[in-house]
Amino acid sequence: MTAPTSLSASGLAKSYLVQSIRTQALADVSLTLRPGELSLISGPSGCGKSTLLSLMSGLSRPDSGEVHALGTDLGRLDDAGRDAFRLAHCGFVFQGFNLFPALDALEQVQLVLDYRGVPQDEARRGAASALEMVGLGHRSHLRPAELSGGEKQRVAIARAIVKRPRLLFADEPTSALDSVNGAIVTDLLREIAHRSGAIVVCVSHDPRLIARADRVIEMEDGRLRRDSHGAPAPSATEIHP
Amino acid sequence: MAVALARKTLLHEWRRFLPAVMSVGFSGVLIIVQGALLLGIVGTNALPVTRSRADLWVGFPGTQSADLGRSIDAGAAAELLVDPRVLRIEPLLMGSGDWRGLRGGGVSVTLIGVDARPDGLGLAEAMPRAVRVLLEEPATVLVDDGDLGKLATAIGGTAEINGQRVRVVGTTRGMRAMGGVNIVASLATVRALDRSLASAGAVTYYLAALRSPDTARAVKTRFSRPDARQRFEVWTAAELAGRSVRYWLLESGAGVGFIFATIVALLVGTLITSQTLMAAVAASIPQYATLRAIGVPFPALRRIVVEQAGWVGAVGLAFGLAGSLLAALLAHLNGIPFALGPGIMALSGGLVLAVALLAGVLALRRLRHADPAALLR
Repeated sequence: MTAPTSLSASGLAKSYLVQSIRTQALADVSLTLRPGELSLISGPSGCGKSTLLSLMSGLSRPDSGEVHALGTDLGRLDDAGRDAFRLAHCGFVFQGFNLFPALDALEQVQLVLDYRGVPQDEARRGAASALEMVGLGHRSHLRPAELSGGEKQRVAIARAIVKRPRLLFADEPTSALDSVNGAIVTDLLREIAHRSGAIVVCVSHDPRLIARADRVIEMEDGRLRRDSHGAPAPSATEIHP
Repeated sequence: MAVALARKTLLHEWRRFLPAVMSVGFSGVLIIVQGALLLGIVGTNALPVTRSRADLWVGFPGTQSADLGRSIDAGAAAELLVDPRVLRIEPLLMGSGDWRGLRGGGVSVTLIGVDARPDGLGLAEAMPRAVRVLLEEPATVLVDDGDLGKLATAIGGTAEINGQRVRVVGTTRGMRAMGGVNIVASLATVRALDRSLASAGAVTYYLAALRSPDTARAVKTRFSRPDARQRFEVWTAAELAGRSVRYWLLESGAGVGFIFATIVALLVGTLITSQTLMAAVAASIPQYATLRAIGVPFPALRRIVVEQAGWVGAVGLAFGLAGSLLAALLAHLNGIPFALGPGIMALSGGLVLAVALLAGVLALRRLRHADPAALLR
């Protein structure tokens, strides 16, 4: 039985101790994300948006509150359990691409399937089709040093989607890209959400991305401020904590 | 085949890993060359044994090393010959002398007296038969070709040993020793040169050839009974050679020096290799953290680092062995005793691989920085 694609957080709080000063990164955040949508979490630096992404993707644990993903309470899983959950269901795209310099584009993508135990031939085919999907089928033999910034981020997206994750997390995916490549990457993320029915959640303060997101969640000081649909959203609802 | 991340990274970033490979290689060369030189030099004390063709050696009870032999009673030969398995017995004398040649000043030499008959057992490997028979002429000696320069002499040259004139009639091969100089002569000549061996009854060793070398242990056992052991002791050639090498390794302090230098080589190798691997891990932290984010468990990342360490060790070891073979060639060309055997190569190979893997394990600590949540800050 497959649980429906769902991701929700309730009452999340998280604080960090930085040089013996405790900083409240998130306070009482509740949020439900919908499948088939590109949701954008935006806000000024330090507003807690990356922390929220980290908690909702199971990369770290909240001080209090719960995250339910695909019917699983992530707080009940131990480290190995959360590793296994992410390996099965989560894709990630980071600001810095984080590609292995020694591998060509196809290998970067195939590596993910290797770790999932997919047989060699199938993994190569899967990697090739993921690269086709991001428009890099003809560049699959190139290493990161031979790719442009936009192409690298598309390889990173192919790596994130090759296992067909139901949850896709992206952290500032366009901030290192020029406007053309930024638009390509944004459209790709939205298309992935619409076509695969996955939950795609993206943290960014890039206005180009805000304009193309299906839903925009604005944060400030560790709390949700605004949740709006469509861009620019007339149906925006102010959230008053 | 799955994507060989460890190996591809190693090849792609070979410059980064080169210091580790070189340090592993040099550690290997250092250990092998030192060990081979030490064994070679110490082994020179066993040269009278290893360059002879005897199956059994008979000498003074409790002799620790071949070069420390003392006179035994000539009756021992008769006792051994009673055994039908013994084909023949031949004496070997070891004495000492003071060489004075053209250059003036004395050189301490070891006199080795062998039976000069063409099929003599003593030092049979050190000279051809044609040279051996030249010793039948009184007052003739053989000098090792590696020692000609040291003694400032040549074939046909003359010198005095213990005040008596001798003529160099030929050279031996591979008899260059660590301390003094080995001078080979006939039994009669050595008795004439070294007064302590003058009496016909004084013999340092008896060399025995057996009808079948396989019976060496059995014959040895027969003559190792307590009553015989008080007058002489019997060893197989390998035993006496091994005993000589062990004695000098352990008693001379040279062995301790080798162990100390080996530890230093291993420490330096571990340090450089682990630093290099740590730097390599540190450079890949964002990539590793990304793998962690998509759920690749920590042990899989550890495997990457340890595999890289293994490759560094293997490639370094290959360089080390190549370097050691080169050193062996140079030593051979220069007549330097260099015992590059499988034992020392296996020991060094094992140690060097252990160094690489230990360095890999040390580098694993850096992996802790591969925290995917850190990518989101």
